[in-house]
Parts: sequence; C-alpha cells; structure tokens
Amino acid sequence: MQQTTTISSITFTEVFSIKDGAIYQSDSEGCWYIDFAGKLARFDYRNLLKLKKAVYQIDIEDKLLNNGPSADVEIIFICACDHCYVLSLLQIIKLKELLQGSFVMLELNHIIFDRLHRIAS
Amino acid sequence: MKDIIRIKCLLSSDVETLINQQIKKEAHSSAIYLSMASWCNRHGYDFSSDYFFKQAEEERAHQLKFYKYILDMGGTAISPEVTNIKIEYNSFREVFEEALDQEINITQSIKSIAARCTKEQDYITLEFLNWFFREQREEEYKARRALELFDVIGEEGTGKWQIDKHVGQIAYNSEA
Ligand SMILES: [Fe+2]
Ligand SMILES: [Fe+2]
Repeated sequence: MQQTTTISSITFTEVFSIKDGAIYQSDSEGCWYIDFAGKLARFDYRNLLKLKKAVYQIDIEDKLLNNGPSADVEIIFICACDHCYVLSLLQIIKLKELLQGSFVMLELNHIIFDRLHRIAS
Repeated sequence: MKDIIRIKCLLSSDVETLINQQIKKEAHSSAIYLSMASWCNRHGYDFSSDYFFKQAEEERAHQLKFYKYILDMGGTAISPEVTNIKIEYNSFREVFEEALDQEINITQSIKSIAARCTKEQDYITLEFLNWFFREQREEEYKARRALELFDVIGEEGTGKWQIDKHVGQIAYNSEA
C-alpha cells in the first residue's frame, strides 16, 4: 500500500489502482491525483467527495438496459472543480470501481491511524 | 499516508448523510405544521393555529441546529427540498393525530442516528443528539396531551371550541 512515486517535486502515495487508472494521495498538498481517462487531475477533499457522489449516482443498470437514442456517454461535471470527464459507460464502471477501491483504502488508512497512531503512543 | 478525510471532517460520511436526511425531515415537519396552522386558522381554531405556527418555528430552529452542526464539524450541509405538503385535513382531530404521528417518526429517526453513532463510537455527535432527545420528550408530550383533549373534553356541542382554547395552554415543565 505504501508505494510512493515522485513526479516532479511532489510525493505521491498510491491509494488504489486498477488496470486502467489509479488514485494517488499527496500528503504535502493534502489532496489526491486521479490518473484516469488519459489525464492526471488534482482533487481536493471537497471535490473528491463531489466526484464520488456524481459517479455513484449514475444508474449504470438503467443505462445498460436503456437502448434509447441518447449517446452512450456521460459527462461528469463538478461544480467549482477544473476537471470534467466525458466517459463511456465502460469507463464509468471502471471509474466507479477505482473510487470504491480508493475509499475502502482511505477508510482502512483511517482505521490504522486510529488504532496504531492515535490510541497507542 | 495522512488521514486527510478525518483531518477535514469529524463526521463519517454515513453520519453526515443521516444528519442531512434529518435536516430534510425537520424542514418537512416545519412545513407540515405551517400547513396545519393554515387549516386551523381557516376553520376558526385560532389557538391551535397559533400553536402550530409556533411548532413550525421550532422545527425550523431544529433544522438549523443540525445544519450548523454539520458545518461546524467540517461537513457539507445540504439545504433540502420540501415537497408534498398537504393542504386539507378531514377533521380537527385528524390534524392532531398527524402531529403526534410526525413527532413519533422524528423521535425514531433521531434514535437511529444515535444507533449509528454508537456503532462507530461517535460520542461527540451522540452528545449533540442528547439535546434533541430532551426536545422530543417535550414534543411528544405536547402532541399527546393535545390529542387527549379530544377524549377528555369531547367534540360535541362547544367541545371543539373548548379543545381549541386548551391547546393554547399546553406546556411541558418537567424537572426530570
Ligand atoms: Fe423537530
Ligand atoms: Fe417537533
């Protein structure tokens, strides 16, 4: 889990990765970098939560069953955030998997902090 | 790796979601009481109308209390949408029956937030909720007392007029 990568002068810790992307955390900046769909985008705490909400809200099953005329792409736009994703259904499924895995790891990190660092000492 | 989410916010996302849902419920209660105040006023029950106007204000205050708590703890408070507020009631008594039902639902809802807090050892939110438990004690008491007036006084003759007059006098002043 503690695999660190250095890109220019910022130190990243990989939070979670899948074949098509990864999420890194920067402790010094207090934010996350999402490497997905061909770009590396920076998300602060609030924007990461907004992204999570936006992605989780998409009804994937409905989109799979719906053979209507609308295109098979979803635009994920987050208010007050520089990034915007235009994703295919398959990419949405992957991004959701990436986020779910990342939040599990962040939760795990939180538990480790509580049990190991905050209580013991 | 730093625990950034915890640094930013004291509340877990589950507790935050539950409190945001509670904010919506309080807003809904407030709107319903306002609607009850309107119905009572239209039917000549002035004391009851005043009583519900006051209740509406109280629910608004509850909503804000939850709202500010989320913000103070670093979370995101969501201003709720309030829809489906009924305008008509079948009887004077039905208004009070629904008022009590609503308070019981609110009590139950706050209990389930507390259960979640206990599960994740969020004693801070639990302590915050204590104020609401005391408040619900009073809210249920008043709603129950109001409804009891219908049996004690009876609706025949000038009964409804009497009931209305007494609704304005209901107060909870337990020291317990
Ligand atoms: Fe309330
Ligand atoms: Fe209430």
